[in-house]
Amino acid sequence: MNKQEHPIIQAENVTVRFPVGRRKTLTAVDNVSISVRRGETFGLIGESGSGKSTLGRAIVCLERPTKGTVLHSGQDLHTLPRAAMRRHRQQYQIIFQDPAAALDPRMTILRSVREPLDVEGKSSLAERNARALEMMGKVGLGPAFAGLYPHQLSGGQKQRACIARVLTLQPSLIVCDEAVAALDVSIQAEILNLLADLQQEFGLTYLFITHNIGVVEHISDTVAVMYLGQIIEIAPADRLAEHYLHPYTEALLSAEPVALPTAMRPDRRILLKGELPSPMDPPSGCRFRTRCRHATELCAAQAPGLRELAPGHLTACHHAETFREKTAAYEGVS
Amino acid sequence: MKKPWRGIPWTGETMTTRTSDPMAKPPQPLLDVRGLGITFSGPGSLVPVVRDVSLTVAAGESVGLVGESGCGKTVTGLALMGLLPFRTSRFDGQILLDGENLLELSERQWRKRRGRRIGMIFQEPMTALDPVFTIGAQIGETLRTHFRIGRSEARERAIEALAQVGIPDPATRHDAYPHELSGGMRQRAMIAMTISCEPALLIADEPTTALDVTVQAQIMDVLGELSARSGMAMLFISHDLGLVSQTCSRIVTMYAGEVVESRAADDVLCRPRHPYTSGLLRSLPSFTPRKGRLPSIPGRVPRPAEFPNGCRFEGRCPHAQQQCSARQQLQPLRDGGFARCWRSEELSLPGVLS
Repeated sequence: MNKQEHPIIQAENVTVRFPVGRRKTLTAVDNVSISVRRGETFGLIGESGSGKSTLGRAIVCLERPTKGTVLHSGQDLHTLPRAAMRRHRQQYQIIFQDPAAALDPRMTILRSVREPLDVEGKSSLAERNARALEMMGKVGLGPAFAGLYPHQLSGGQKQRACIARVLTLQPSLIVCDEAVAALDVSIQAEILNLLADLQQEFGLTYLFITHNIGVVEHISDTVAVMYLGQIIEIAPADRLAEHYLHPYTEALLSAEPVALPTAMRPDRRILLKGELPSPMDPPSGCRFRTRCRHATELCAAQAPGLRELAPGHLTACHHAETFREKTAAYEGVS
Repeated sequence: MKKPWRGIPWTGETMTTRTSDPMAKPPQPLLDVRGLGITFSGPGSLVPVVRDVSLTVAAGESVGLVGESGCGKTVTGLALMGLLPFRTSRFDGQILLDGENLLELSERQWRKRRGRRIGMIFQEPMTALDPVFTIGAQIGETLRTHFRIGRSEARERAIEALAQVGIPDPATRHDAYPHELSGGMRQRAMIAMTISCEPALLIADEPTTALDVTVQAQIMDVLGELSARSGMAMLFISHDLGLVSQTCSRIVTMYAGEVVESRAADDVLCRPRHPYTSGLLRSLPSFTPRKGRLPSIPGRVPRPAEFPNGCRFEGRCPHAQQQCSARQQLQPLRDGGFARCWRSEELSLPGVLS
C-alpha cells in the first residue's frame, strides 16, 4: 500500500499511563483507537481531565504510548532511530491554548517564528528569515511585526505568530489544543477563518481539541467525545447535534449556553450530578454510569464497547438505542 | 440555516421579553450607576479608562455586562466594590446603592459595606482563596468581620453557606484547604463565602470562564437558585453572550470604556441596536452554516490612551459615516433601552435571526 492510502493518523488501542507516587498509576488515555484521514478536521471534545490533551500529545510524539501504537501514514515513529524520528515528526505540529506562554518574551516575533528552522539547521540565515517572513505574511502579520516582542501584540496576534511558527516546517498535521479558548469571540472567529484558509492552501489536517461544542461542530468533519480517558462517541460532525447516541454527549450539548431569546431556547437542560471521577480510580463498567441517569446494573457490570450504529457513527453505551426516549419521558415531552 | 435551537422548530410566535408588564412602574433600582467615569493617574499622565457608564440593577434582577477584553467591564466591577486604589484612581459621576453614593465613602466606611452589601466573585477561585487557610477559616473571617458572632456560630453559618451552594459533606469541606477541592468546588466555596453575609448585590466577574461546560451549568444553577430564593441581585460580567442571555433579563454592552447598548436581553438578541453588539453576536459559530466563513469584527479594541474623540467603534464599524466622528451619546430608543449610536433607529442590524 502506498503512503497516500494510509490514514494520516491511525491510533490503535493507545493507552498512556503516568506514574503518580508509589506504585500508583494514572491512566490518562485508556485503549483509544482513532483514525484521522488526510485533509480532514478531527474534533476532540471532553471535560478537563478527560485525556484529550494527552491523546493530542501522543499523536505528535510528545508522549510515548504505554500500550498500543500511533501510526503516522502507516509508520510507527517510535520504532525509528532517534534522528529519523525527529526528522519525521516535523510534519506533526501542535499549537497551544495560551499564546503568551508559548512565545519567549525575550525573543522578537521573527526569531520565535524562525526558531524551528534554526533547530532544523538546513538552510542559511537569509533563507530562514525569508521563510519566516513568508509564513508571517500567510497568517496576516506583516513585516512590521518582525521586530516586535510578544508583549507588544494582542492575544489574537500572538496566536497568529504561533501558527506561523508551526507552518515554517511545512507540517501535514497540526494539533490545535484549545487554540481559540483564550480568545474573545470576534478574535476567535478570525483565527478559525484563518485556520480554514490555511487548510485550503496547504492541505493541512487538523486535530482540534476543545471543550467548546459550538466551535467543534462548526469546523470539524468528525467529532470524538472523550470521557475519563476513553472515547465514548465518534460521529460525523453534522450528525452529532441531533443524532447523538450517548447520554454524556446529550449532557454536554445541553450544558452549552446558546445565545437565543427565551421563546426559542430549548428548555430541557440536563444537569450532570457531581464531577469527573478520579482517573486514578475509575468506576467499574461504563465510566459514565456514576453520573448517568440511565445507568442500570448492566452498566456497572460490563464496560460497553464502541458499536457502530450508523455509518461512521460509533457509541459506547449499552442503552444507545433507547435512552433518548427515556430522556423525553423524563421531560414530559413526547 | 443551521441548528441554533438544536432541532426544536421555531413556531414563529412573537418574541416575549422577560421584562413582564411594560406598564408596571419600574421599581426603585438597588444599584444606580450614573455617568461613572474612571481615570487612572500614572506618573505625569492621566488615562481615562471608563467614561459615562450608566446602568441600573433592580433588587432580585440579573443584569449582564458584556464586551471584549479591554472594554472596561472588570474595572467597572472593581469600582462598584471599591477595590480600585483610591490614591491613583479618579472617579466622576455617582454609584448609588440604595440611594447612598458609594464614591463619597471613606475607606473606613467602605469596609462596613464591602462584602456585606455588595459581594464579588472572581474568575479564578484559586487566586482568590488564600492557600494557607482552610475554606472555613476564610468564610469565618468574613462573617466575624461583619457580624458580632463567636467562632462556633461562625462555623455553623459557614457550614450552612457551604451546604447552600451544593457542596456535599459541608462539615468536612469546611476544614479543607483550597488545593484539596476541584475547580468547580472552589468556585462554589467562593460563592459560599460571598453569600454568607447575604449581600444585596453580587458582582460575578467571569465566574465560570475557567470551568468546564458541565460544571459551568451547575454553578449557574446555584447562582440562579440563590438569586431566586434570597432576592439577591446580580451583575454578571462575561464575554460569553450565550451564558449572559440564559441568566440575565437585561444586557449591557460595553465597548472601549463606554456603555454602547443597554436593553432587555431578548431585544438585544433579536434586534441589536449597536453595530458592536451585532458584531459580537454574529461572530458566534452557531449562527453560521457549518464550515462557513465566520463574520468577525476587524481590528481590535483601542488602548485607553488611544480612544478616539468621536464614536469609539467608528474604526471597526461597517456602517460608519461622517457624522460618526462626533462624540456619541447614549440615546433612549423607541422600543425601550439605550444605544450609543446615532444610526441605531435607522440601521437594521442582524441579531441571532439574520
